[in-house]
Amino acid sequence: MSELLLAEGITKSFGANRVLRGVTISIGRGEVVGLFGPNGSGKTTLANIISGLVFPDRGRVLFEGKDITRMTMDARFRAGISRTFQIPNPYPSLTVVESVRVALLCGQAARQAGGEEKAGLEEELDSLLGRTGLFAQRFWPAAKLSQGCLRRLEFARAISCRPRLVLLDEVFSALSAKDEAELVALMRSLYREEEISFLLISHNPLILEELCDRVVAIEDGRVFWEGKPGDLARYVPAANHAHELEDEMHEEGGS
Amino acid sequence: MPGSSFPGADAPGDTAVNPLAQVLVDGIFTGASYALMAAGLALILGVVKVVNLSHGAFFTLGAYVAYVLDSRGVGNPLAAVFMAAVIAFAFGVFLGKSFINPVRSHSFSVAVGSLGFAILFEQAAQMLWGPHPLSIDLGAPLAVVDGVTLRRWGVISFLVSLGLVGGLSHLLSRPLGLPLKLIAEDEEIAGSVGMDVEKIRYLTFGAASAVAAVAGALLAPAMAITPTMGRVPLILSLIVVIASGMEKVWNLFFLAVGLGLLSNVSAYLLAPSWSYVLLLAVICLLLVLRPSGLATVGPSRDY
Amino acid sequence: MKKSGPFRHGKFPGVLAAGAGVLLLLPLAGIDAFLLNVLTLGFLVAVYTGSWDIVGGVAGQISLGHALFFGAATYACALLTSLAGWPFPLAAVAALLLATAAGAAVGALSAPLKGPFVALLTLALGEGAHEFFLGQTFFSPKGAYSWGGEGGIPVLLGGPSISPWTAYYAALAFLVLCTWLMLRIARSEEGLIWTAVSGSELSARASGVDVLRYKRRAFMVAAALAGAAGVGFAAFVGRATADDFSLELSFQAATFAAVGGRGTIVGPVLSALLLHSLLQGTGIPPAGRVLLYALALLLTLRFFPGGVAGTLRDRVRSRRMVAPGKGENR
Repeated sequence: MSELLLAEGITKSFGANRVLRGVTISIGRGEVVGLFGPNGSGKTTLANIISGLVFPDRGRVLFEGKDITRMTMDARFRAGISRTFQIPNPYPSLTVVESVRVALLCGQAARQAGGEEKAGLEEELDSLLGRTGLFAQRFWPAAKLSQGCLRRLEFARAISCRPRLVLLDEVFSALSAKDEAELVALMRSLYREEEISFLLISHNPLILEELCDRVVAIEDGRVFWEGKPGDLARYVPAANHAHELEDEMHEEGGS
Repeated sequence: MPGSSFPGADAPGDTAVNPLAQVLVDGIFTGASYALMAAGLALILGVVKVVNLSHGAFFTLGAYVAYVLDSRGVGNPLAAVFMAAVIAFAFGVFLGKSFINPVRSHSFSVAVGSLGFAILFEQAAQMLWGPHPLSIDLGAPLAVVDGVTLRRWGVISFLVSLGLVGGLSHLLSRPLGLPLKLIAEDEEIAGSVGMDVEKIRYLTFGAASAVAAVAGALLAPAMAITPTMGRVPLILSLIVVIASGMEKVWNLFFLAVGLGLLSNVSAYLLAPSWSYVLLLAVICLLLVLRPSGLATVGPSRDY
Repeated sequence: MKKSGPFRHGKFPGVLAAGAGVLLLLPLAGIDAFLLNVLTLGFLVAVYTGSWDIVGGVAGQISLGHALFFGAATYACALLTSLAGWPFPLAAVAALLLATAAGAAVGALSAPLKGPFVALLTLALGEGAHEFFLGQTFFSPKGAYSWGGEGGIPVLLGGPSISPWTAYYAALAFLVLCTWLMLRIARSEEGLIWTAVSGSELSARASGVDVLRYKRRAFMVAAALAGAAGVGFAAFVGRATADDFSLELSFQAATFAAVGGRGTIVGPVLSALLLHSLLQGTGIPPAGRVLLYALALLLTLRFFPGGVAGTLRDRVRSRRMVAPGKGENR
């Protein structure tokens, strides 16, 4: 099975609202797949279903060949699927290092059960914080971080236990250009060093074009189009708007 | 526990020809008053975003105001309601401004502090009026229908409750209610649009406390008035708010009436303390089994 | 009332040691027997309150029925020694196990629920037990007496009666031991995960935390400690009454902990000891006591919203941001 993750026939309704109507999406090993769609298209719900926050009404999710449709979110984390949240929820009473330690502790238990050696927790923690650029703030209360740092904390948590698939939910939105650039560089370095697959959810086609191997466009609960990122603008009308905006901004000399 | 103040169960002997029907009707009237309390509690939970455990104390305050007026010969329930509302509003605003608002960021501390205020009030009431049950003269019944005595307190309770709940529901769906809804949704936006969020908070707290006092004043003739009489109504209205969710105000009303019926009937068929145990068992069962038909303030379970 | 200064750093352990020293020497300084007993009870109440903080403060699961675990232990001691004739040490162990089992059960029931519902369920369970035991009577083995309700059931210690001094020092040692234990647990990996669950269940789940399991365990540990306090109480007072399940006792755990500083362990322990001693030990009439209690709650929380120790701890934390790199990590 060359696919890492396969979500097929995913259907989900909330009350009378049919959010997903039979969506199928697959992610291969070491692949960066983009999930594009306007608000209300169902992409967040799909992400929630893949990460285990929500269970689908119909359809199934297969990870490395195993059916994980009804697996809880924490079990999926231990199994190798992690995610970031669009709105980070930092622990109000923990520091940065403590926040990441929580994830390391839980993932470590799973890895030890899997027979791997117990690496030095502290060293791993420090290296993780270093790679995500949070080493200087590691004793700060997590809740006091800036938005950009919070996103990086989400990243650190998500990659702490060597996942095979990471869902990034709008992780680049509403960031300053500098923060965005740093985060992109971080993602690229992770992608090169460890064969992590990413599912990148974004309503910003420019980011998707820059980072993804393949893009899936969702609209109104269905897969609308799937193909190479460069073709996104051509086939998906919603993507054009962003290009126009960017051109406008360049003309005005802004960011 | 405080099972001694169940309305209807302690009402001075009416020789009602149809006691079960009487209990049912009284239960509906009682439930209507609980709906008032629940509405106030829901307002505080939604707008001020705190769990208010002093709500029962305001209920008791209203009952004692009614008693004091009655013992001075002012038997008009509407006068009692008015005085109770004014006094409770003043106390509520004071509590809101001096304690609730400053401590709001620590929701647990607010709950504990409001409990402290309740204890303070209970003690003060005991020192002023003594621990023994007091009662207000029921007066002549309004009507007797099919062996069921309709008393003034009951009818007025029901009408006032309907009116207030209806008014609140109406208010929330109108532009006038927008500030409240906005603050409930997102305070930052409310603040940035120029609303004095702090002021609206303590005013809401005062108003909701006034409503609880009104409920107490209305229900006073039917209950044994003691310093701790507000505890059971507090717990009942908490259940109503938590179980009915905060989407529709009318859900509160119907659930409260239902609960009033249940508690009255079970107090009549069993003993008041058993009724209390029954209520507790119902809560436990509901929470453990969690039938999905029950609306909640968001899901009560994630799993 | 409480000491200032950073946790685990510099002044704080020294101040605690000094306080312990004072408590050690008090009886020798000739304090009267009544006060001695008040303090002894106070030590037990402090452990009880600290146990609440484990589940209600560190793990964030606000329990309003904590007296259930306390009463289960006292009743087990009483019934096993008086009715079944067990020796006290055996009954004590059984009582501890029973309290822990009750904790596991309550934890399992409330783990799937969110905040206010946990409070409501634990309230209902605690009050249910209270009502049950209020009405429940047991016949003494000789058949001549019936026990139960508010009159209570005697606890037979067997052996010579304990002097107030012995009780005092035993309870003090118990307090020190349990506080040390609770602090160790709160600062362990388990405690860290509980704090995470308390702060953001969503983030915890996304970090691989099996939230249900950890919540259950928090309840179990807290119940075991509350049960231990109950065993000590049963031994000291010699009687188990239905009041051991009372709403007042349940609320007391939560309110004392709030004043001390939810989640700090030390705050709740110290505030419980202090408040209990002040309320019971000074010669205030009952009405005044209640007023004092309520005022203490209101005033302390108004000026220390996170409890005394909690507010101080937050201030220390904020200072860390100014000088990153200094200070400790967990």
